[in-house]
Amino acid sequence: MTTEAKNKPKVAFFDFTSCEGCQLNKLNLENDLLDILEHVDIVEFREAMDDKAEEYDIAFIEGSISTPSCVERIHDIRRRAKMLIALGACATQGGINAMKNLQPIEEVREAVYGDEKYRFPTLPAMPVSAIVKVDYKIDGCPMSMPEFLKVLKSLLAGQEPIKPDSAVCVECKLKENECVFDKGMVCLGPITRGGCDAICPSFGQFCTGCRGLISNPNKNAMLEILTEHGISLDEAKKRILLFNSYDHSQSMPK
Amino acid sequence: MKKYQLNKKQLPSFIDHLKKQGTVFAPHKKGDASYSFAKVVESDSVILEYNRTLNSIKKYFLPPRELLLSYSRKDNSYKKGTIGKEKKIFLGVHSYDMKAVLKLDYNFTEGNPEENYLLRRRNSSFIGVSFIPDEFHFSQSVGMPVHDTDGFDIYLEKNDDGYTVKIITEKGEKLIKEFNGLCDALDISSNHIQFQNKLKYNYNRLPEVFEQSWNAEVWEEVAKRCVGCGTCNLVCPTCYCFDVEDNMDLSLQNGTRDRSWDGCMLNDFAAVAGGENFRKSLADRQRHRIFRKFRYITYITGEPWCVGCGRCTAYCTAGISIVDIVNQLCDEYEQKYLNRPVEQSGLNLEGL
Amino acid sequence: MSIAISDIKTQELYSPDISEIIAIKRFTEKEKWFEIRLPEGRSLGHQPGQFVQVSLFGAGEAPISVTSSPTKEGSFELCVREVGMLTKIFHNLKVGSTIGIRGPYGKGFDVESFKGKDILIIGGGIGIVPLRSLINYVIDNRKDYGRLIILYGAKTPDELLYPDDLKLWDKSNDIEYHITVDQGTPEWKGNTGVITTLIPGLDLDLPNTITAVVGPPIMYKFVLMSLKTKRIPDKNIYLSLERRMKCGVGKCGHCQINHSYICQDGPVYHYPELKHLQEAI
Repeated sequence: MTTEAKNKPKVAFFDFTSCEGCQLNKLNLENDLLDILEHVDIVEFREAMDDKAEEYDIAFIEGSISTPSCVERIHDIRRRAKMLIALGACATQGGINAMKNLQPIEEVREAVYGDEKYRFPTLPAMPVSAIVKVDYKIDGCPMSMPEFLKVLKSLLAGQEPIKPDSAVCVECKLKENECVFDKGMVCLGPITRGGCDAICPSFGQFCTGCRGLISNPNKNAMLEILTEHGISLDEAKKRILLFNSYDHSQSMPK
Repeated sequence: MKKYQLNKKQLPSFIDHLKKQGTVFAPHKKGDASYSFAKVVESDSVILEYNRTLNSIKKYFLPPRELLLSYSRKDNSYKKGTIGKEKKIFLGVHSYDMKAVLKLDYNFTEGNPEENYLLRRRNSSFIGVSFIPDEFHFSQSVGMPVHDTDGFDIYLEKNDDGYTVKIITEKGEKLIKEFNGLCDALDISSNHIQFQNKLKYNYNRLPEVFEQSWNAEVWEEVAKRCVGCGTCNLVCPTCYCFDVEDNMDLSLQNGTRDRSWDGCMLNDFAAVAGGENFRKSLADRQRHRIFRKFRYITYITGEPWCVGCGRCTAYCTAGISIVDIVNQLCDEYEQKYLNRPVEQSGLNLEGL
Repeated sequence: MSIAISDIKTQELYSPDISEIIAIKRFTEKEKWFEIRLPEGRSLGHQPGQFVQVSLFGAGEAPISVTSSPTKEGSFELCVREVGMLTKIFHNLKVGSTIGIRGPYGKGFDVESFKGKDILIIGGGIGIVPLRSLINYVIDNRKDYGRLIILYGAKTPDELLYPDDLKLWDKSNDIEYHITVDQGTPEWKGNTGVITTLIPGLDLDLPNTITAVVGPPIMYKFVLMSLKTKRIPDKNIYLSLERRMKCGVGKCGHCQINHSYICQDGPVYHYPELKHLQEAI
């Protein structure tokens, strides 16, 4: 199916504070990428090309908001975008960047920039949704490719993507994976939002919680599971907060 | 009942014999310390001495993910997914997993007999094998001793040299007919196998307990430890709830309607469009899960819908034990409604 | 328990009939009415109160109550509130579009056993949707039934459905029709207040009155209390429940309350069957 260029939705990708791994990941779509280009016009994509448009049908945002200029820029993009989608853990939940919020911000600034710190104003790292309305989130570090495709297809077909709200364990069980706890590891799969097809446990690796937690996560019970399996309470909290400190550090049991 | 002796070293040739008659599925090693049913390719990779498989053989009749329809949005046409009619032989099934299949037969035939399940379920033969109960099995307490042969065509009972082969049905007789090399059965009597793990009451006393258990304290207690991951539902051999989802390919025209296993412990299982969730709390969901095993279908069929395989407990990372929950319900029932400990009922099958 | 699997005739449960939308009306900002024709104009063969699974390829399926009476031939009607992705897409369909239909499913109102009785209808919000099927059935078989009393409540006048039917019910000498809104507008001349305020004033032939109640979950508790005060016996009360459903045929487990599957034993329940089911109301 070929859509006339003038009817194709304009899609743009923007990156904020991040490693840009999610963008690279998209280029890994290979075969699918050409099919996607049948349906959309990519107008802004730093890793891929250098064109600009005034307005976007869909703006994909990668990275967290961590400086005053990020705030200004995301407002500008939001104004020009009919739909705004956060891509990857940094954008959806602050990600690893938000760990800096656990320490006094001036100390962090000094540690990173030293004497030059006055030239680099900084803010606590925030998910995009802390500043502007986000229409949809694609989780993961890097963002999940199957989920990205699913969301894109839904939107292009005029539908609303459904956000999975069950744990990674569900996908492990559907694939009949041996539980990584039974391999002697500890895993955040029981409270981490699925949708990644349990990719890490499927390769024998524990889940780090990069997709954020399910709704109403029972953090107390998860801490108990982790400590019962031999790690200290302090370590258990750190594991949960690795990707989730923006949303969950305040509510973490003392 | 006809009996033979199958010596250990004959096992691969016995499996080869079965393979000539259909696709054979049997337990194999999986991961570091687990087992899983899989299609037999190499007969000597089959493991008949195992504690439990990750999933039960339910997965062959109600696959974890299944294509219901493939559709085209262009003209709103569709066709059903195809279901193979191959002959299937399940080797090395434990008695509780066989019973679970018989229970699913009820669920998928009662009311509206479902084509997808039944087409897969037909043309299946079952060869059971005895097992040594570990700390999680409690199938005897729900009425299924190790050597329960209900549903099997052939049953293999472990002995020192191999297996006593018991022919249960005509179908079983046919499966074994042309296999040369079976010896006369050894003159040994079947040994009763004890379970370490037990329900406090035998299953036939549980309905009176569950009658009074709606407001039990256990639910809130368990909910404190539960993370709602749904593992207990997904590994249960008698859980059959499913979700259905439409997926599209990149043409945005063609796609598939797929179903996959679902679980009543998950957040949105009972949520409707518009936001209302009819079982919001983990306590409500735990109660629903356990009531589905011991009260709801039991109320209609008179049978427990738990087969005592121990999977929900063995695979729960929080260590929540279904036996502990039921036993606590029994304790609470005694304290609140009987005011005295109850002697084990005369109908108890333990030790028979 | 052993079942002879090979002897059982299987049913193709998940194949929808591709049907055509032949008329659409918008009632409110959120609700639209659709008239649907099954292949070859086949009759749906439903009871008032039953539902169908509407299938939109790519979006999935959802249970929707039938709002037309079985006495209407050649087509049937649905009234759909936009509450999620599937219903949003449904709302965007045009006359001539096709959709999939499975069903009718579940148990509806037992109109045979209601014969000779007075019928009291209590509908709140979109609860009027399945009740309209019953109302029209009674109107079309008027001589078989006694009085027809309709109580209808909505949040605001803007949310009232079926404007043409409402006029008809209002004008008819044969229907006792009472309407209320929770919050009126300056133009609103009718009753204001929740639906239960309409109940005390009713003059009913108690043993001979069947009450059919459909509304949002929160409404049931209060209506049932009012009916109790009015001394309407439980055995004369029928109500309809809503739950998540995926299959409509008693398999997927989503709609289960206690030992009952709403898609099989409901959505319409005889109140005495329901009152002992925890989680139901």
